[in-house]
Amino acid sequence: MKVVEEVQVRFPPAEVLVVNDGSADLTSEKAKACGVMVLDLPFNLGIGGAMQAGYKYAYEKGYDIVVQVDGDGQHDPKEIPKLLESLKEKQVDMVIGSRFITHSAYKISIMRRLGSYILSGVISCLIKQKITDPTAGFRAANRKAIRLFAFYYPQDYPEPEVLVLLSKSGLKIAEVLVKMKQRYSGESSITKIRSIYYMVKVLLAIFVDCFKKAPLLE
Amino acid sequence: MLIKIQIIIGLLSIVFLLITFELIRKNRLREEYAILWLFTGIAIFIFSLWPKFFLSQFFIRITGLYYLSAVVMIAFVFLLLIVFHFSVVISRLTEQNKDLTQRHAMLELEFNEFKKRYLSTGDRSS
Repeated sequence: MKVVEEVQVRFPPAEVLVVNDGSADLTSEKAKACGVMVLDLPFNLGIGGAMQAGYKYAYEKGYDIVVQVDGDGQHDPKEIPKLLESLKEKQVDMVIGSRFITHSAYKISIMRRLGSYILSGVISCLIKQKITDPTAGFRAANRKAIRLFAFYYPQDYPEPEVLVLLSKSGLKIAEVLVKMKQRYSGESSITKIRSIYYMVKVLLAIFVDCFKKAPLLE
Repeated sequence: MLIKIQIIIGLLSIVFLLITFELIRKNRLREEYAILWLFTGIAIFIFSLWPKFFLSQFFIRITGLYYLSAVVMIAFVFLLLIVFHFSVVISRLTEQNKDLTQRHAMLELEFNEFKKRYLSTGDRSS
């Protein structure tokens, strides 16, 4: 659990919560050995359900800010303060750690770059705000966003769909450039051939989201 | 021609009704669905007894459709509605299932934290 240790070392004030989405390997035990909280889902809910479990927990426990870090180690905990700063300075409800806000040296395949380009174009149009990296999972959310996520969280493709949800609910989003690292472990859930299929499904999901009723939170 | 279909449909509906009864008896079918399928079975059975009446009087009056194909059409619409209804039910169940799972995990975490705290204070006092 390099990621957990790294967060603890790089950003000590954080209280770490690991969400184990029903995997039966030693993830949960190893994380517990690091002394962090572990949310063990009894069976696999998928990324959306697992994320939402984390946000629900944060909401009930009264946390003011949640930073969402993927477990594969591509998000650098050194960048967490940067996210928190811009959350405060820019007066927004959620900050995304973007890979491509400027031309960084981050290496990805052409297919993925093209896919990201189309996706960010569509989403930027829909929410009327420039979003460069809609699939990034490195995010910080404030209390207002946590509350929204505790009640409504998209299940299928949460990263891009959340953006539409936020803008429909009138919450503000900002992006900051962060450095990404190579993953320690795990493959991307999006392989080359599947990326087209992924694109179509994400676009469909977003399209459906646009017609959903805006969530009402008083 | 019609008598053959009558017998087949009649037998099918009887088998169908028997299965429904059996499932209700074993508590494997909830009442709301049991009633639906019982009525469906009975309706099919009655139809197999007097198909001419239904075809020539009843359906024509209601729908303006003649021929046996009208029955197929109506059965299809009926099944479509039921399948759609089940999709709605499954969606609701999935959502409830997800919420329960998340709640379960949260309670478990809270319980473990509580237990840890309780045990550590218990050690100190003893």
